[in-house]
Amino acid sequence: MARVRLEHVTKRYEDVTAVDDISMEIEDGEFVTFVGPSGCGKSTTMETVAGLTRPTEGEVYIGDDNVTTLAPKDRGVAMVFQNIALFPHMDVFENISFGLRLRKYDDEEIQRRVEQAADIVQLEGMLDRMPDEMSGGQRQRVAIARAIVRNPDVFLMDEPLANLDAKLRVHMRTELQRLHRELDTTIIYVTHDQAEAMTMSDRIAVLNAGELQQIAPPLTCYNEPANRFVAGFIGSPSMNFAEGELVEDGVRTKNFHVDLDPGNVPGMTVGDAVTLGVRPEDVHLTTAADTVAQPTDPIDARSDVIEPMGDEMFVYLLLAEGAERSMEEDPSSSADQLLMSVTPDTPIEEGQNVDVVLDRSKIHLFETATGQALLHGITNLSGRDSGTTPTEADS
Amino acid sequence: MFDDNDSAREDDGVRGTDGDGDDNGDSDGVPEHWKRTREMTDGGQPADESRSGILTEDTEAELDRGPFQQWVADSISNPERVYRSMFYTATIFFLFTTLFPFYWLLMVALTPEGQQQDIILTPNGFNPGAFIEVFQVLPFHWYMFNSFVIATASTILVLVIGSLAGYAFGRLEFPGKTPLMLLVLIISFFPPAAFFIPLNDLFNTSFFLLEPITGDGTLYNTPGAMVLPLSAIFMPLAIFILTTFYAQIPDGLEDAARVEGTTRLGALFRVIIPLSAPGVATAGVLTFIAVYNEFFFSFLMTDGQPENWAPILEGILGYQGQYEVMYHLMAASSIIGVIPVAILVIVAQEKIVSGLTAGALKE
Repeated sequence: MARVRLEHVTKRYEDVTAVDDISMEIEDGEFVTFVGPSGCGKSTTMETVAGLTRPTEGEVYIGDDNVTTLAPKDRGVAMVFQNIALFPHMDVFENISFGLRLRKYDDEEIQRRVEQAADIVQLEGMLDRMPDEMSGGQRQRVAIARAIVRNPDVFLMDEPLANLDAKLRVHMRTELQRLHRELDTTIIYVTHDQAEAMTMSDRIAVLNAGELQQIAPPLTCYNEPANRFVAGFIGSPSMNFAEGELVEDGVRTKNFHVDLDPGNVPGMTVGDAVTLGVRPEDVHLTTAADTVAQPTDPIDARSDVIEPMGDEMFVYLLLAEGAERSMEEDPSSSADQLLMSVTPDTPIEEGQNVDVVLDRSKIHLFETATGQALLHGITNLSGRDSGTTPTEADS
Repeated sequence: MFDDNDSAREDDGVRGTDGDGDDNGDSDGVPEHWKRTREMTDGGQPADESRSGILTEDTEAELDRGPFQQWVADSISNPERVYRSMFYTATIFFLFTTLFPFYWLLMVALTPEGQQQDIILTPNGFNPGAFIEVFQVLPFHWYMFNSFVIATASTILVLVIGSLAGYAFGRLEFPGKTPLMLLVLIISFFPPAAFFIPLNDLFNTSFFLLEPITGDGTLYNTPGAMVLPLSAIFMPLAIFILTTFYAQIPDGLEDAARVEGTTRLGALFRVIIPLSAPGVATAGVLTFIAVYNEFFFSFLMTDGQPENWAPILEGILGYQGQYEVMYHLMAASSIIGVIPVAILVIVAQEKIVSGLTAGALKE
C-alpha cells in the first residue's frame, strides 16, 4: 500500500503528445479511475506508473520513492491488462505463481499464497487448467489473482472488463469493489466506460487529449463539472448545451432566455459568450414543474422523437419553429434541440407542442471560449446567492 | 472426319426417332450448346445401328464417346477425382525422387566390394557387414561426433544471438531498423567462398589469447573454425524467421511478464521464446541441417584428421584412397550419417506441430 504521486508527467512520441503535464496525488488505499475517450492518454499515464513507459518529462513517486527510472519489476506494482494477458503456455497455478517463482519464494509459501489468492477470486479447483480451457470471466479472475498474489503496493487495471460481455461486466464490477474493500490497496483503474468509473471509484480523473480535466469524487464530477468537456463526458445521455451571450438581465441563447444577474458570473461582463448546460433530467414539462423549486420561464418546444427506456423516457425537443432534427449534430450540442428525460408514464406524443422549464439550481454556465465552468446552479434572481462557483467547489 | 459427320447425323437421327413420349430425349439435362459440341467433336467410335438402338433405350449419349472423352466429361462433373489423382501423382513423384536415392544408396552399401559395376534395382550380393566395416576402416563415429558438436554449437549460437536480434527487430522501435534488417539479409546473399580466403588467413594467425585453449593460438583445426563462419552465414535466415515469430506475440504478454518481475531479457526467454516454439524449432532445425551438411568450410578448415575436429564429410571422403574407392563404405557411412538428422527432424516436427496447436493465442 502506498500513495502514488505524479508530478508534471509528460509523454511525447515523435510528434504526438500523449500525456501533457499531468500532476495528481493518489492517497493510500484509494480507488482512482482514469476515464476519457479513446486516445486521451489514460493508458499511457497508467503505463508511466507501471514503468512500461518512461515519461519524457516529470516524475512518478510511489510511496516516498521516486520510481521514474525504475524497472516495472522493482516498483511493487501489479497490473491487470485489457487483453487479460495470461501466459498461454502455463496453467493457472503457474500463471498465478509466476511473479512469486521469479522472486524465489519457497514452494510452501507459493502454494499457500496461490491458494489464498485463488480463494479470494473464487477459482478453487481450477489451478491445473490451461487458460484456453476457461471462459472470459474465469481468465479475468486468474489475471486478478496473479496481480493480488504478490501483495502489490499499487494495483493497476487497464480496462480489465472491456473484453467481457455486458452481464459479466456488471458482475465483475461488484467483485472488484468487494476486492478493493478486502485488500484495501491503492487501485488505479483505466476505463472509457463512465458507468464503471461512477460506480467503483473514490475519485475520478477525467482526461482528454492528454490533459487532466478534473479529478474529483464521482458525484462532484457529475454535479460540478470543472469544464464543458467533463460536463459532456460524464453522464448518459449527455448534458444539453446551448451557446449564448450574457445580456443585461440574464443569458440569451438562440431560442430561450434565462434570468440572471450578470454580476454574479465571475470574470464575465455583459456581452461575453457563455454556454448554458443542463442535464436531460433537469428539463421538466411545465405541467409537472411544481416539484421544481426555481423553474425558469417556460420554453416553447415541440417533441420530436420519443425513446422509452423502461425506467425513464427520453424526449427529443425541437425549440425553433420549423426546425428539423439534425442528423449530423449531436442533439446535446445543437442550439435548436433539447433532450429531456421524464418518467415513462408521462402523457406525451411525438409532434406535440409542449412547454418546458429548466431547474435553475441545476443549470451550469461555461465560458464558451475556454469551456471553463463559471457557475453551477443559478438559484437566485437577485444574485445574492447564486449557486456555487467552481472556486468554492474546489475548496 | 466423315465418320464424325456420319455419327453426328446418326445422333440426330436417334433424337429424331425418340418420339415415344418418354422424357429421354429432351430432358437429359444437357444444355443446347453442349449438344452442339457433342455433335461436332464426337470423336469416339462411330455409332452404328445397333448402338443407336441401345441409345434409344438409354439415351445415355455419353456412352457414345471414347474413353478419354468419357474421362474428361467425368472430370468436369466430378472435379474432386482429378484433384485426388493429381495429389497422388505429385505425392508419388516427390516420394520417388526423395526416397529413391536412399534406396539406391542402400543397394550400393549392401553390394560386396568389387561388384558395383551394374547395380540397377537390387544389390549384387548381400553384405550388411559394410555397416560395421565403416567403423573399422576409419573412426567414423569420431567424425560423426565432431559434426554433431559443430552443428549443435552453431545451432545454439545462432538461436541465442538470433533471438536477441529477432527481439530487437521484431518488438522494438529504433531508428535505422529497416536498413539494418536489409543489411543483415544482404550479407546472407554473399557467396560463402568470398569470405574464405580472409577467414582462412585469420584462422591461421596466432592469437596470444587463444593459446591456452588451442595450443598454437590459431583456430585452424578447431571447431571454432567451422562454428564461427557457419553460424554467421546461417544467422540472417534465423534472424528473419525469429523476427517474424517474435513480432506476433502480443505486447500485453511481455508487459505482463515485466510487471510480474522479469526484465526484458527475462520476458524474452520465459514468455516470448516458449510461445514462439514453432519458429525457434524451425530456425534451429534449418541451421542444424545446414551446418551438418555444409561442405565448403567443413572441407577446408581442418586437415581431415578426426582428432582435429574434421566433420563427417571428411570421414566419407576418407574411404576414397589413392588406388581404390570403397563405394560400398561411402554409401553405408552416408546412410549412417543421415540418421541423426532424420531423428532430429522427426522429433522437431512433433514439437512444431504441438507448438502450433497448443499456442492458440486468442488476442
